[in-house]
Amino acid sequence: MSTTDPAAPVRATLRAVFGRGLPAFAALAVAVALTAALASPPDRLQGELVRLMYVHVPAAWTAFLAYGVTLVAGLVWLWRRAAVWDRLAAASAEAGVFFTGLAIAMGAVWGRPTWGVWWTWDARLVTTALLFFVYLGYLALRRAVDDPVTRARRSAVFGVVAFAMVPLVHFSVLWWRTLHQPPSLLRPAAPAIGGGMLTALLLSVLAFTALFVLIVRTRMRLTAANAALDVAELTGAEPVAGDAVTAPRREATR
Amino acid sequence: MSVVPPLTQALVLAGKDLRLERRTGEAFLVVAPFGAVALFMVPLAVGADTPLLATLGPALFWVVVLLFGVLVTVRGSATDGPAQRAVLSLVGVTPRVRLAGRAFGNTVLLLGFQAVIAPVALVLYAPEPAGWVWLLPMVPLVAVGLGTLGALADLVSEGLAGRAVLGPLLVAPITVPLLLGATGVLDAARYGRPAWPWLVLVVTVDLAAALLAAWCARHLEDQS
Repeated sequence: MSTTDPAAPVRATLRAVFGRGLPAFAALAVAVALTAALASPPDRLQGELVRLMYVHVPAAWTAFLAYGVTLVAGLVWLWRRAAVWDRLAAASAEAGVFFTGLAIAMGAVWGRPTWGVWWTWDARLVTTALLFFVYLGYLALRRAVDDPVTRARRSAVFGVVAFAMVPLVHFSVLWWRTLHQPPSLLRPAAPAIGGGMLTALLLSVLAFTALFVLIVRTRMRLTAANAALDVAELTGAEPVAGDAVTAPRREATR
Repeated sequence: MSVVPPLTQALVLAGKDLRLERRTGEAFLVVAPFGAVALFMVPLAVGADTPLLATLGPALFWVVVLLFGVLVTVRGSATDGPAQRAVLSLVGVTPRVRLAGRAFGNTVLLLGFQAVIAPVALVLYAPEPAGWVWLLPMVPLVAVGLGTLGALADLVSEGLAGRAVLGPLLVAPITVPLLLGATGVLDAARYGRPAWPWLVLVVTVDLAAALLAAWCARHLEDQS
């Protein structure tokens, strides 16, 4: 007698949505990064608070990466007109907004004990918040358009305009006198960070990048499935309205 | 048959927009009074601290110009229907020229909007006169930048249900460099620092906006 596992369809669905290898790799990368972050030395001035860096900085980097992917995917959509590029741009923008919000929230948590305030009118903070709102606008634009081609076209164009904010955020700490520290890694001179901390930071960046790829791939699969469902509904898999109504028949005359 | 130059086409379209605005009065009879109300309400919230209001005045003027100026650029009369777009296409008006015409019209309306709002700010806030000469180039430069970005947002949000809210959401965060430049010249003049870098910033934003708009127009109008 054969037994059927009731959880099998659920597992199959989860595998189809998330995959197998990438979630395992992302989980491993997160575990290694977490271990490295906990094992890294405390800062001479900030003490244990410096460990917030291993979330705050990778989140900001991943957000920049996400907006870069949105830009490139939008440009490729304008060139090739394939729906997959629009799905990639949308999924990446959603992930970017999430990581920007995470960077802002972690920055506020870090700023309270070090600067004494949750928020201050600093160029880096303000431009990052504006970047968050610009891409919220991008997502709002996508929600406002029903037609997939029009939505892809308009959001691709706006994605190019919106990306102009990214260099403004990155260079804000150099162009203005800010409370926020200047770049420690992406600068012409040698990195201004110790070896142990640098290793932990790079591992955190790798873990966040793996999470980003997983989120974007999952979101793209869900969007594609949703689109396929819409098409199936439109092509007559469901009975149309009024289908149950039959034409009246004349009663038999005696 | 003589070909009408693109600049002339854009100016004709801008003239059409201005005539429509004269009939509807949306920018000057609705948005401008709304902006004046905003300038009037801030002191009520801040309190009757005259020196503080004099300091805040120029900044509030520019905030109102940018936020309410966006409403001018996404006004209801700045919408071309599908039939109108089709006619323009058939007579050889390119999307780029159509966007340029809208940007020219927006710029003229924004200059008028600033001319209406400025006296209100002067009367209500009595700001310090230092550095006002820098406003002579700054006022038209901000109008050009905002007019171009507004025309772009107008095209992106054309025909959408939430256009009146979506357009400002798309444009307002991007206009921050204009705000920084416009307020920066007055601060620089007040504290004896060179003000020209702020002018360069706004000119750069204007040029970038114009180039982006010229590139985007073709893609946004493509109906294939």
